[in-house]
Amino acid sequence: MSVNVQGLRKSYGALDVLKDINLDVREGEFTVLLGPSGCGKSTLLSAIAGLDPINAGRIDIAGIDVTDRDPAARGIAMVFQSYALYPTMTVRGNMTFGLRVKRLPKPEIEKRLTWAADMLQITDLLDRKPGQLSGGQRQRVAIGRALVQQARVFLFDEPLSNLDAKLRAEMRVEIKRLHRELAPTVVYVTHDQIEAMTLASRIAVMRGGRIEQYATPDELYERPATLFVAGFVGAPAMNFLPVILRGGVAELGALRIPLDAYRFTSPPADGTPAVLGVRPEHVTIGGPGVAVATETLFMEPMGADTLGWFQLGAQRLSARLAPQLARGIDGAQTVALDIANASIFDQATELRL
Amino acid sequence: MSVGRIGLYIFLAGAALFFAIPLLIVVMTSLKPMDEIRAGSIFAWPMAPGFAAWVKAWSSACTGLACNGIQVGFWNSFQILIPSVVLSVSAGAINGYALAQWKPPGANMLLTALMLGAFIPYQVILYPMVKIMSNVGLYNSLPGIVAIHIIFGLPVMTLIFRNFYAGLPDELLKAARVDGAGFWRIFWEIMLPISVNILVVAVILQVTGIWNDYLLGLIFAGREYAPMTVQLNLIVNSQMGEQEHNVNMAATLLTALPPLLVYVASGRYFVRGITAGAVKG
Ligand SMILES: Nc1ncnc2c1ncn2[C@@H]1O[C@H](COP(=O)(O)OP(=O)(O)O)[C@@H](O)[C@H]1O
Ligand SMILES: [Mg+2]
Repeated sequence: MSVNVQGLRKSYGALDVLKDINLDVREGEFTVLLGPSGCGKSTLLSAIAGLDPINAGRIDIAGIDVTDRDPAARGIAMVFQSYALYPTMTVRGNMTFGLRVKRLPKPEIEKRLTWAADMLQITDLLDRKPGQLSGGQRQRVAIGRALVQQARVFLFDEPLSNLDAKLRAEMRVEIKRLHRELAPTVVYVTHDQIEAMTLASRIAVMRGGRIEQYATPDELYERPATLFVAGFVGAPAMNFLPVILRGGVAELGALRIPLDAYRFTSPPADGTPAVLGVRPEHVTIGGPGVAVATETLFMEPMGADTLGWFQLGAQRLSARLAPQLARGIDGAQTVALDIANASIFDQATELRL
Repeated sequence: MSVGRIGLYIFLAGAALFFAIPLLIVVMTSLKPMDEIRAGSIFAWPMAPGFAAWVKAWSSACTGLACNGIQVGFWNSFQILIPSVVLSVSAGAINGYALAQWKPPGANMLLTALMLGAFIPYQVILYPMVKIMSNVGLYNSLPGIVAIHIIFGLPVMTLIFRNFYAGLPDELLKAARVDGAGFWRIFWEIMLPISVNILVVAVILQVTGIWNDYLLGLIFAGREYAPMTVQLNLIVNSQMGEQEHNVNMAATLLTALPPLLVYVASGRYFVRGITAGAVKG
């Protein structure tokens, strides 16, 4: 079932938290809302769930206008950051509460409980209270409580942020597996870009109550639409060089970087102040692109590769290098900037050029 | 042991004696016959301890003209206590839950009003309350005094529960709403079961407050439903004949007994409830 948000606005008093949000999530799609803390992700998810009244706009689920419907009448299930398990009920009680509220017949409730518990491997835990579970187990129960609803739309609000790194990776795979097997429509909130990149079929990057870009992980990474998206997505972060664009050349101080390889979406006027963004893997030694003279600063080994830092005029450049190659590098060094894979943003509008 | 420690223990022992000695005198006196009281010192140990004074205090001491003992007051207090406690605590819990969890528009204004209500000395509004109660025909009646206890108890009860429910994570209510549960179902099945400790605190506060109340009972209950405290005062202050100290003491102890029992029975919960900041999931 699709989820469609149009012209959504939401404010708390004078604070505009969501400003004209448009988002369309296709049936079976895994959409991730990604953005820094406080940008309105949870508020948007709450609005889709119908938990908070909105100021303007419209929300359709499966093509039906649900803007004025109660959360339970929207055909959604939700998993919360704090798990929000009912403390005095057993796991069984927690998972079946919603079904009992909806007065489903007992055998049906039992069937769904068994199915979901089996799916999540929590059958042994059914008679325990939430207080007797570990963080990872609580998370499974919270997902189980959503699964038994057999909803076609799942909403997740930072479900893994309270888990340690190892467990998080494990649950990420679990969620991916569930999505593959059940193919529900998912809207998933996170501030963790790894989670977003690994899970999403499309990512909506949010900033200050707006969606900056809504695209596939590849598109987002390779062709970020705004300076903010370029900086937020990708670790280690993209290199930003302040340049002036003039006649197909980027001027960086005295340095002239020809931009022939770059495909402009909208050709800029001469003299436009801009930001040239190059990802660390597109700064190479002996690779394709424009060669520039730099001074080696230091090396940061990261295991699979080493992050090399170079001084280019007044700017610092980071390059993702193979460890063997990085070991021999020192002093003056010529590096190549792969302009074909770079991004250029207008400094004033912060939009991609 | 440091000097400070020793000083502390001496102070604590002194404080304990300060409260224990009068209590001991009351208990000893209530167990003595009048002859012994007349003859001896109040600090003397009873020579032939007996419960005669207790029996008289309970069943035949004179409260004004009637001589049916303090038992009349006991049953009156009981009849006042049960509905007053049940209704004021329930109303406080529901109010607190509604204000903290559902955050209706104007909740903060209502809260400020409640704070004011909780801290206004109630003597100030006694007279208007008397007028209102007699206008609605509840003055000097059981429903009247019960209503008064509920009204006077509500601000504090609401605040206690509101603070407790405000400390719960918002997501609990959200999860229950997504599950399709409504206002009452969430209250009964999710909120109340987490609130046991705080409920015990509220009940203790109300039981002791209402049982020990004298002024409101004197003014609003009328002669027929005068609570135990008012009857006790009548026994102790009756001017007819010789003062029967042993009966007075026994009546006092009988009056003080119920709140005492409540403390003993629930002290554990009381401490737990007062320290219950957060509910761990
Ligand atoms: N109930 C509320 N009252 C007032 N402000 C709120 C409320 N909920 C959220 N906000 C504000 O709205 C903004 C967005 O919050 P939220 O959607 O929770 O951000 P995110 O989930 O992206 O971290 C924040 O600035 C937050 O302080
Ligand atoms: Mg959030």
